[in-house]
Amino acid sequence: MSAFLALAELRLRLTVRRLLGKGGVQDLVARSVMIVFTVPVGLLFAWGAGRGAFLAVRMSSPRAIAWGTALFFFGVWTSWTSLALTMSDRESFDLRRVLVYPVPPWQAYLYELAAGLLADPFALFWLLLQAGAFVGAAVARPGSWVLLLAVVHVLFAAGTVCLVALLQELLARAVSRRRVRELGVAAVYIGVILLVVYVAAGGGRAVWSGLRALTTLRWLAAPAALAVEATQALYTGAVAGALPWIGGLAAAVPAIAWAAYRLALSGALAGAEGARASGGAGGGWPLPGRLGPMLEKELKYLLRHPLTAVLALVLPALAAAVGWKALPLLPPDEIYRALPLFGFALYTLLVTQAVWLNAFGWDRGGVRLWFLAPVAPADVLRAKNDASLALAFALFALTAVALFATGGLAQPWAICAALALHLGTGAWWTAAGNFVSILNPRPSAHSLQRGASLAPMTALAGMAIVSGGTTLFGLPVLLAMSFENPWLLVAIWTALAVAGVAVRRAIRPLTARLLERRREQLLAAVAGDDA
Amino acid sequence: MHAIETEGLTRLFDDKPAVSDLTLAVPAGAFFGFLGPNGAGKSTTIKMLTGLLAPSAGRARVLGLDLGRDPLSVKRQIGVVPDGLGLFERLSGAEQLRIHGQLYGLARAEAARRTDELLAALDLVADAGKLVGEYSHGMKKKLALACALIHGPRLLFLDEPFEGIDAVAVSGIRRLLVDLVGRGALTIFLTSHVLEVVERLVTHVGIIRGGRLAAHGTLEEVRGTGTLEEVFIRTVGEETAPVGLSWLGEGSGA
Repeated sequence: MSAFLALAELRLRLTVRRLLGKGGVQDLVARSVMIVFTVPVGLLFAWGAGRGAFLAVRMSSPRAIAWGTALFFFGVWTSWTSLALTMSDRESFDLRRVLVYPVPPWQAYLYELAAGLLADPFALFWLLLQAGAFVGAAVARPGSWVLLLAVVHVLFAAGTVCLVALLQELLARAVSRRRVRELGVAAVYIGVILLVVYVAAGGGRAVWSGLRALTTLRWLAAPAALAVEATQALYTGAVAGALPWIGGLAAAVPAIAWAAYRLALSGALAGAEGARASGGAGGGWPLPGRLGPMLEKELKYLLRHPLTAVLALVLPALAAAVGWKALPLLPPDEIYRALPLFGFALYTLLVTQAVWLNAFGWDRGGVRLWFLAPVAPADVLRAKNDASLALAFALFALTAVALFATGGLAQPWAICAALALHLGTGAWWTAAGNFVSILNPRPSAHSLQRGASLAPMTALAGMAIVSGGTTLFGLPVLLAMSFENPWLLVAIWTALAVAGVAVRRAIRPLTARLLERRREQLLAAVAGDDA
Repeated sequence: MHAIETEGLTRLFDDKPAVSDLTLAVPAGAFFGFLGPNGAGKSTTIKMLTGLLAPSAGRARVLGLDLGRDPLSVKRQIGVVPDGLGLFERLSGAEQLRIHGQLYGLARAEAARRTDELLAALDLVADAGKLVGEYSHGMKKKLALACALIHGPRLLFLDEPFEGIDAVAVSGIRRLLVDLVGRGALTIFLTSHVLEVVERLVTHVGIIRGGRLAAHGTLEEVRGTGTLEEVFIRTVGEETAPVGLSWLGEGSGA
């Protein structure tokens, strides 16, 4: 136990030192700002959740309870999981680092899960939501049954945290194997093509009934599915009927935690796998000039990152689903039907923000080369910007093709406008993102977990940049709508895109000088002893 | 002709000097060993001479060029194995080497040809396609050395090239360096803790202590009639023997 306490103290001291040390104050401020925002917003949403639970318990309508509880638990579970997988900041925890100590690894693992939960402002938000729902239901019908409801909420939260950890381990394993990634991406594309062909040939009804059968997959989200069943029974007053579901939930949580722990432990004990890159010496990519090898390096880094494979896997599938199911529900007006395409034009840039907001993070020790080699800092920035925009554009092209395949080709003006929106916001965002990359660099792991996420201050800056860019491009929409001329939107967005490219080019020398001036801080942050 | 000349080179960290008023001259073609205890300022000096760190005061001329005025021209002619190596872990060894060469101005085909030669010379051919992150420490050291050599530099900076690698790898690297200097191909500026290896390699020595140059000259001048280790300990001062610790050897007591 003393060793465990020592480990806890060690982690706490390291975290405090990091937050109070050089560069950590920004993180501390950003984290505090997030919490300051999270609490009132969380309380507001908790009030809504409480009101919903209150009404559901008072009305005792089985249908309303079924819909309400499913919406609440699956909604929270989906949001919690997706945000945790993309934005969680687990303080770079790696089980390998604690194996050396005489602490049972499972204790260290559980401690890290709990510490991760406490340090995550988003988790606070989800917990507030649950507290709101619990209080609402308890006020609606006070009684001893609320103790069981409290148990359900606690087990749901614990189960979700453990399932997120399990998914992180599974994803890390799947995407760390290049062949698995490639097969996964290929399978999705072939699946979408076959689906489109099948639906076009008149097999839509069979596909629909097949999809309904897929609802059994909800049990994969066991904490949410079991909590829904238990809560439904408790809300309707069937306490005895709730007990098996609560028992199932109580058994599922440690089982999920155990599976996540075993995977993490086996990964830690196995050490790093001997990954190989395709192609040995060879001649490399025939890209011209001094910029060519820099661009080649950046693109190879991006293509080898598991995030790229996941995005290439998920985004076109999502676009195909939107084109197939959501587009027909939209009003027939041209502007409404163009919205999904515009959304993906922005979203494909947004999901690559870890690249353009922390451009030097993945270089780690390699970042020294940019200052040792006779290359101009402006060229380094240009190569990084071009590579990240090429990745985002490739993702956008794939999602647009999938969207068109299932939802039909968009109007020519919409395609032109989406291209201008994508390229334009990309230019503005990367121009601003370069400053963030230089001023707040953070060493980044080449994985989907363990320190691969953005620093809190960078995430805040990212929100400001994205909001600013979106507002800049959003205002002309009102103008185009008032003139009822969509080509006006194309013209203005194209002008904004050209302006963005010009601005980025004009301020590149300034950014390059900043990079030169911040060289020592950048090296210390990304390649130094603390990295 | 001097490969390196510094005059009053100083670097402060939080107003404390890491390197203070360093005036140094390294002749062209020399194998210069820069020695000092931990924290003496060796790595800081190398970082200043290679453009990774700006000096707080003083100036440096490298290969006859003013480093402050024309850093790019200096960088084109030097090779560096920095402290921490500076490799891209998600490139293969061969890719790292070729791209490194291209960044130093080599044509792609020429960089690829030299990559093959260097990989063969440093016995890394079998691991050419492996990601650098999967290399052992010794292999990374060899690859970093290959990177520093691929563009044919006139001056090579090596920061602790023998630290953390086995005797076989040390021997291979040592043979290569001796051959390069013996052919008059380049000047080498090396820092190391391994005094026996340094003594067998270098022609010139500088000893730094507390950020200040304490001794400087040819190996024979600095060494006199003793060994380099004796001179080194005399110059930087011997550590006092540990006192206490009588409980060691009495069991864990836990």
